[in-house]
Amino acid sequence: MTGSDRPAGVPGMIRDRMMSVTRRREDVPGIVRLELQAGPDFLDEASPGRFVQVEIPPGPFPLVRRPFTISRIGPSSFELLFEVRGRGTEALAATETGSSLRVLGPLGRGYALDGGRWLLIGGGMGAAGFPRLCQAADCGLAVLGASSACRLTDLSGVPCTSITEDGSSGRAGLVTDLLDGVPWEHFANIALCGPVAMMKAVMERVPPGLSGRVQVSAEARMGCGWGVCEGCSVPAAAGGYLKCCTDGPVIPAGRIDWERWEGV
Amino acid sequence: METGPWTLWGREYDSPLMLASGTAGFGLELMEMGMLAGVAAVVSKATTLLPRDGNVPPRIVETRYGLLNSVGLANPGVEEVLASVLPAASRLPVPLIVNVAGDTVEDYASVVERLDSSPVPVGYEINVSCPNVSAGGAAFGASPSTVEEVSRLVAAATRRPFSVKLTPNEGSMVESAAAAEEGGASAVTVCNTFLGMTVDWRTGEAPLKRGVGGYSSPALLPLTVARVHLTRRAVGIPVLASGGVGSPEDVLELLAAGATMVQVGTWLMRRPGAALELLEGVRELLDGLRGFPDGTGT
Repeated sequence: MTGSDRPAGVPGMIRDRMMSVTRRREDVPGIVRLELQAGPDFLDEASPGRFVQVEIPPGPFPLVRRPFTISRIGPSSFELLFEVRGRGTEALAATETGSSLRVLGPLGRGYALDGGRWLLIGGGMGAAGFPRLCQAADCGLAVLGASSACRLTDLSGVPCTSITEDGSSGRAGLVTDLLDGVPWEHFANIALCGPVAMMKAVMERVPPGLSGRVQVSAEARMGCGWGVCEGCSVPAAAGGYLKCCTDGPVIPAGRIDWERWEGV
Repeated sequence: METGPWTLWGREYDSPLMLASGTAGFGLELMEMGMLAGVAAVVSKATTLLPRDGNVPPRIVETRYGLLNSVGLANPGVEEVLASVLPAASRLPVPLIVNVAGDTVEDYASVVERLDSSPVPVGYEINVSCPNVSAGGAAFGASPSTVEEVSRLVAAATRRPFSVKLTPNEGSMVESAAAAEEGGASAVTVCNTFLGMTVDWRTGEAPLKRGVGGYSSPALLPLTVARVHLTRRAVGIPVLASGGVGSPEDVLELLAAGATMVQVGTWLMRRPGAALELLEGVRELLDGLRGFPDGTGT
């Protein structure tokens, strides 16, 4: 059974394996793209929105793995796209082509791909998983924001409107400044990913009745990544908490208690 | 030092490794991932009388040399565990020990009594040491007389063996271990996480909502070794070591210090398949070994 046969991002066999880094790019200082070699057993499961837990070499500290969305897949590889933010990503950014990383995954539940056109709304590195979504779904429009133009995720082939905080791509502002003219009703699905404050602001702008179309790719501090440590909690609308790693990371917007969610 | 097979509560195991409470759920996820090889027994996530949502996130934060957690015993409660978790856990290829926590001294026996209606648990771990809750938790473990009382109540509630998981944070662990034995405990688990805290010096704020959390790390190994050594000399019941394992040498060091079995916990966050890796390493090291000290008199 392949990922595409399985309903709505239901996880298959999770494996932990060493993978070769076949390419490393850092076109923008601090934004790193790693390409890792993978076989069909991994790639068939690497549906949009799912993630991997990468062990930080050489160890043992940083102790726990770091979660990364699968940014894009190729015929025999996949890509991780991340910003250097702390000790973990700093060590990972030092990875050289030809070296190997220990990768657990693919993990979690990805986007429910039920057909229809997608609107993508992303803030900063939150858009890192959108290229993979664009590979598998009909993405009609992307609305992206970032701190500066060089940090906007490249979604070539998809109509895109963008804005930056420093105005380096034209207008200065936030993603929410771009939402006025969005033809919301033209899209059967809305993918939302970014900082929690940004996503809250976007949710307030989604027209009444359409919030059921929003699928949120959530981010949380993560321990295990496979559902047991209860570290990556996201407040649930039904009370209690969802586990970002196994209930998500892609969660229907209606299942989240937005009032209680403070984010990472 | 036991060089295998390892024996606990009348069962013989070809591995000394147990999975520590809170780091492996009920073992079901690792079973699905095919990663229970090398595991002697799974110690479950804590089960309480009533469901608990757990603490307000963020619940984990990594520091330079370890992990702080403040999960707060999130669990669905004993009735749900009986209704849906334990039936699924009956498929586990290894024995399950259910960790039990309580808000009151009486809670422990009540939960154990309910769990006894299931054939699945082979024993219990009585958690009188959680650093992340305001009621009960480590407060019980701090007082040897309370530890003894809890142990007596649990011993009266079940014929299954149980270990009392002690706190390193308050009171005398060695006295509490002796009190657990006096109260009828079949083992002690040495020990739970260490109370820890991290503060952002720029803002003065702690990332964890409760400020403090439970600290775990391979760097804690010598603290566990010392406590296993001291406890081993004070009690006749098995000592289950928990804290600091990240390599085969760590496992052997804890066994040499007097542990009957060794739990691996936080290391599973890095290596979910740790048990088999550690066991293979242990076997390799033992193959090259003769005349290791037994730990009791050192």
